[in-house]
Amino acid sequence: MQLQEIVNILECKNHTDEGLLWRDIEYCYATDMMSDVLKACKIGSLLITGLVNQQVIQVAEIMDLKAILFVSGKEPASDVIEKANEKNLPMLTTEKQLFEACGILYTFGLRGKEIFQKTDDGTGNTL
Amino acid sequence: MEQEILYNKIFRIVGRDFANAGTVSVKIKKILKEIGIKPEVVYRVSICCYEAEMNVIMYARFAKMDFTITSDEVIIILEDEGPGIENIELAMKEGFSTATQEMRELGFGAGLGLPNIKNNSDEFKIESELLKGTKLYFKINLN
Repeated sequence: MQLQEIVNILECKNHTDEGLLWRDIEYCYATDMMSDVLKACKIGSLLITGLVNQQVIQVAEIMDLKAILFVSGKEPASDVIEKANEKNLPMLTTEKQLFEACGILYTFGLRGKEIFQKTDDGTGNTL
Repeated sequence: MEQEILYNKIFRIVGRDFANAGTVSVKIKKILKEIGIKPEVVYRVSICCYEAEMNVIMYARFAKMDFTITSDEVIIILEDEGPGIENIELAMKEGFSTATQEMRELGFGAGLGLPNIKNNSDEFKIESELLKGTKLYFKINLN
């Protein structure tokens, strides 16, 4: 699903370059804990979170997140938006609450997927 | 057989420097990508480094991160000057955290940091001395 569709569905405000809204989102992950993202979020997911700070951008870089969606009407500060623009990281906000936003996206077919986890034999599954 | 060192760099991390938190790990990720290390390894190393870096930012005063790429593995040795860890066994347990409210507001302190480093690395060692600091050693195989 393209980001533009998510913008329409959740009545999002886009804070970054419009040109990034063509990005295709395959998987989503929702949490307020950045360690959760590093532990279990599938590389390249859309992160849905209520945590609005610089750390989100660093984590997005590490995990190659495709975009960030802030819920509950929380607005990122201008320096956070500036940094996201620098990194070509789309940033959206919606008035909807976390549960509601996730639920709606789920009904539109989006799913979560867990990151690569090492298996007992050490080979692991694919990213 | 002696391993060939392809790259070595020492990074410095300053405790409480939240504005620059994560920058060392992002640099390391770029270096690994540029060298052409396979994505799975790049992510593993980056995740470990980021968790380790955040631990320093949150708890320690200062740390030196020695980052080495050899022909077979990535080796990271992180030595910090800080409070040390009272009970390593407990700190290695998922969900255990001594994070303050401030740290939690930043999205950390889920008690996943050290376990996450251990899970993503092929070799992991930790030593700590109370009131002095903590030494982390982790290694990720390239293949």
